[in-house]
Amino acid sequence: MADRTLPRTDVVIVGGGWTGLTAAYELANAGQRCVVLERGGPRHDATHFAGPEEHDELKYALRYGHMMDVKRETLTFRHDRRQQALPMRRLGSFLPGSGLGGAGIHWNGQLWRPLPSDLRMRSHYTERYGADFIPDDIAIQDWGVTYDELQPHLDFFERICGTAGRAGNLDGEAHPGGNPFEGPRTSDYPNPPMQQPISNTLFGEAAERLGLNPFPMPSANVTRAYENPYGAQLHPCTYCGFCERFGCGYLAKADPIICVYDRIRDHENFEIRFGAQVLKVETSQDGRTATGVTYQGEDGLDYFQPADTVCLCAYALWNVHLMLVSGLGRPYDPQTRTGTVGRNYSYQTIAAVDAFFDDEIVTNPFMGAGALGVVVDDYNGDNFDHSDLGFLGGGYIACKQYHGRPISYQPVPEGTPPWGAQWKRAVRETYGHHGDLVVHGSSVSTPENYLDLDPTWTDAYGRPLLRMTFNFPENDRRMSDYVMNRAVEIAQEMEHVTSVASTNLAAVDSNYSIVPYQTTHNVGGAAIGTDPSTSVVNRYGQMWDHHNVFVFGACLFPQNLGYNPTGPLMGLAYWTLEHLKGDYLDNPRPLMDA
Amino acid sequence: MPRITTPARPAALLAGAIAMAAPGAAQDFDTQPSIREMESRLEDQHVLFGVEIESDVTDDLLELGRLVAMGGAEAGGSGMACVSCHGAEGRGDGSGAFPRIAGQPGWYLYKQLTDYASGARPNRVMSGIAQRLTETEMEAVSAYYAAIDAPFRPVLGTVDAQTLQWGGQLGAAGSAELGIPACVNCHGPQGTGNPPSVPYLAGQYANYMTHQLQLWKDGTRDNDAMNVMSAIASKMTEEDMRAVSEYYARVRPPEREDLSGTARTTAAEGAAGGD
Repeated sequence: MADRTLPRTDVVIVGGGWTGLTAAYELANAGQRCVVLERGGPRHDATHFAGPEEHDELKYALRYGHMMDVKRETLTFRHDRRQQALPMRRLGSFLPGSGLGGAGIHWNGQLWRPLPSDLRMRSHYTERYGADFIPDDIAIQDWGVTYDELQPHLDFFERICGTAGRAGNLDGEAHPGGNPFEGPRTSDYPNPPMQQPISNTLFGEAAERLGLNPFPMPSANVTRAYENPYGAQLHPCTYCGFCERFGCGYLAKADPIICVYDRIRDHENFEIRFGAQVLKVETSQDGRTATGVTYQGEDGLDYFQPADTVCLCAYALWNVHLMLVSGLGRPYDPQTRTGTVGRNYSYQTIAAVDAFFDDEIVTNPFMGAGALGVVVDDYNGDNFDHSDLGFLGGGYIACKQYHGRPISYQPVPEGTPPWGAQWKRAVRETYGHHGDLVVHGSSVSTPENYLDLDPTWTDAYGRPLLRMTFNFPENDRRMSDYVMNRAVEIAQEMEHVTSVASTNLAAVDSNYSIVPYQTTHNVGGAAIGTDPSTSVVNRYGQMWDHHNVFVFGACLFPQNLGYNPTGPLMGLAYWTLEHLKGDYLDNPRPLMDA
Repeated sequence: MPRITTPARPAALLAGAIAMAAPGAAQDFDTQPSIREMESRLEDQHVLFGVEIESDVTDDLLELGRLVAMGGAEAGGSGMACVSCHGAEGRGDGSGAFPRIAGQPGWYLYKQLTDYASGARPNRVMSGIAQRLTETEMEAVSAYYAAIDAPFRPVLGTVDAQTLQWGGQLGAAGSAELGIPACVNCHGPQGTGNPPSVPYLAGQYANYMTHQLQLWKDGTRDNDAMNVMSAIASKMTEEDMRAVSEYYARVRPPEREDLSGTARTTAAEGAAGGD
C-alpha cells in the first residue's frame, strides 16, 4: 500500500529517456496532462557534459558514471534452464542508463531504419525460401506493422536528430553513394554525411573493388548548425571522439535532453519527477485496465499516482520487469511455450575485425565520432541469398572511427602477448595505424531465450529480480562467422593493410559472456504483433490485456535486426503515439480485437 | 597543400632531445626574445602542440620568422611589419585592436595566415599582409610567435562582478536555457586552448574577443573547420559576448614552467622505462 495517493493525471510515463520524453512532448501538446517519473536525476548537456571534465575515460567509460546503479536494480543471468542464475553485480555486456535522457545521452548516434523485410521476417523468409526453411527452434515473427506504415515516423525521427547521411533510395529511385538496400524514403537526410577519415575511406574503396556498396553511416552526430522540428538547435560535431558512454557538451549529438526535453519542460501539461522509482503498475479490480503506478519518491515514501493512461518507457529490460512484477499480461513459460511477457528476448551478435596499416597511413584515432563510419549492407537482413547458407539474418559491416581513448583503445596485431614489453611496444606502434571494422549482426528469437522473475534474488525494493536466460542461437553463431569472414575479405583488400585480426563474440562452441561489453541492444520480452498468443502488445503498441497501457522501446522487437535499435524503436514510438492521440484518447478501448 | 603536417609518430617528438627549461628571465617589452630561449620551448607541447613543420624547426627558421616579423622578407617584406601592431613579443599593444599572438598554437597561427590570404577570414589589414608572404615565411613567422613566452599586460578597465560571474559561467558551464555549449569544451579548462587548432582565450584582449564573436555571429568570420563558432555566437547577445570576453581576458594560464616540467618528466619516464 502506498503511503500517499496523489491527484489523478491524464497520462503517467515511466522513464525520461527518448521514448518517455517524446511521448510526453506529443501527448502534452495534444492536451494531455503528463507526469514523467524518472528514477535518476536532472542534468543538461551544457551544464553536465562539457569537456574536458566529461572526457574522463576512467570515470565515465570504465566506472560507468552515467549508467544505472546495479546495487539497486539488476538482473540474474544464466545460459539455460538447467543452471542456477546469479545476479549481475557489475555492468558489462550492456549499459542501461539512468537520469534525464536515459541511455539516450550516452549512445553513439548510429541511426538506422529497418529493412522492409526485417518487419515481416517470418513471412519474408517463408515466401522466398519456402515453408520449411525456418527451423522449429527459431521463433521469429512479423512485427505486424509494415515499413510503409513506419516510414513517415522513421523520417520524422531522423529530422528530430538532424541526422547526417546520404539517401540510397528516394521514393523508389536509386541514389548512388547511399544504401541501395534501404526501403524507399520520402526525403533525404536533413544534413550531409560526416567527413570520413582515412581508414574508413580505404575500407569504402576496398568494398567497392569487391563489388559491394559502401555508404556513410547514418549519424545523429550533427554535421552543421540545425534546428529540428521541435525548434531545438543542434551544433556541428567537432569529432572529439567522446560519444559512446559520454554525454555531448557540444550540443552536437542528438539526445533526448536537447532535442525533446528543452522544448517541452515549460509546457503547462508537462511535469517530471526525478528520483522517482516506479515499483508497480496498479490494475483495476477486473484486471482489465491499469489505474496508475506506485513509485518510491526521493523521500523514501511510496506514492500512488493515478492516471487514465500508462506509458511504459523504461529501458527494454525494465519495462518487461515492471510488467512481470505488476502482473501485466501473461508471463512466458518455456516448458509449455505459452504466455508472452518475457518471450522473444534477443540480443545482438558482434564480431570485430582489425586491420593494421603500414607507416604511411596515420589514422589519428582520437579524431572520431560515435557514428563516424563507412558501411556495407550487402550482408544484412536478406540482402543476400540465404538458400545454402544454413542460417537466416545478417549484419552490416562498418569501418568506424569512434574513439581513440587512451585506456580502452589499444589495438594490437594477432600474436601479440596480452601484457608486458612486447604488448606495450605493439600498442605504441599500432595506435595510429589501425582500422576498426565491426560486424553488427541480427539475433533470432528462440523458445529457450527469455526473461522471467528470479525465484531467489530480490532488488533493493524487495521485488524479485528479472532473470535472463540466454545464449547465442546456433543460427546467429553461423551467421556471425559468415559475415565476419566477408569483413575479413574486405580488410585484406584494403590498401596499406599489413595484417588482419578477427574475433567473433558469438563464435560457434563458445558461450555468450555477460562480462565484456558488446552492445546495449537488449530487445524483446514484450513483442509487438497481431496475435495475442505470441505478442504482448498489438500492432499499435497497446497491451492486449490492458488497453490503457502503451509500451515503448526495443522490448517490442520480436527478434533483433542487424541494426542499432534507436531508429526503429523511435519509429514505432511515433507510430504508437499517432494512434494513441488520433484514435484512442477520445474513445479509450482496445484498438484491435484479440 | 598546407606544408605543416601532423607527424607520423607523435611520440617521437616527446621522446626526442629533452632540453632543460630555460630560466624564466624577466622580459622587457622592447627586447626581442633570444632564439636560443625560444628553441628550448619547442619541446613544450603547448608551443607547436604535436604539430611539426615539414622541415624541422631550426634556429634558421626561427631567425627567418623573426625577420618576417620585423617586416623583411623575400617579396620585399609583408608590406607591414608584424611587430608594428603585435609587437616583437606578440603581446599586441594593449588596446585590444590587435590580438595577443605570443604562444598561440603554431598551426593555428599558420592557418589564420592562409585564411587571411585566401579571404576565408576577411580582414582589410591582414589579408594584404598574408598575401605577400611566401609559404615558408608563413610557417616561419607562425613558429616564431608560437615559441614566444611573453608576460601578460595588465588588464585595462574595470568590469562589475556580475558580468564577470556570468562570463565565467558561460565559459565553464555554458547555458542550458540559451543552448550555449561551454567554452571549456574546446578551449580547455582554463582557456588555454586545445592544440593544434583551438586558440587560447586566457589573457587574450577582451575587445578583440568580443569583436571576433560578433564577426562569427555576422558570418563575416567563418573559418573554423566545422563551423562551430558561428552556431555558438549566433545564440549570444552583445552582453554575453562582452561578459565571456572580459572574463577570459582576466584568466591566466598555469605557469609555463609547471606545464613543461610535467611534460618533460613524462617524456623522460617514457624514454627510460617505456618497456
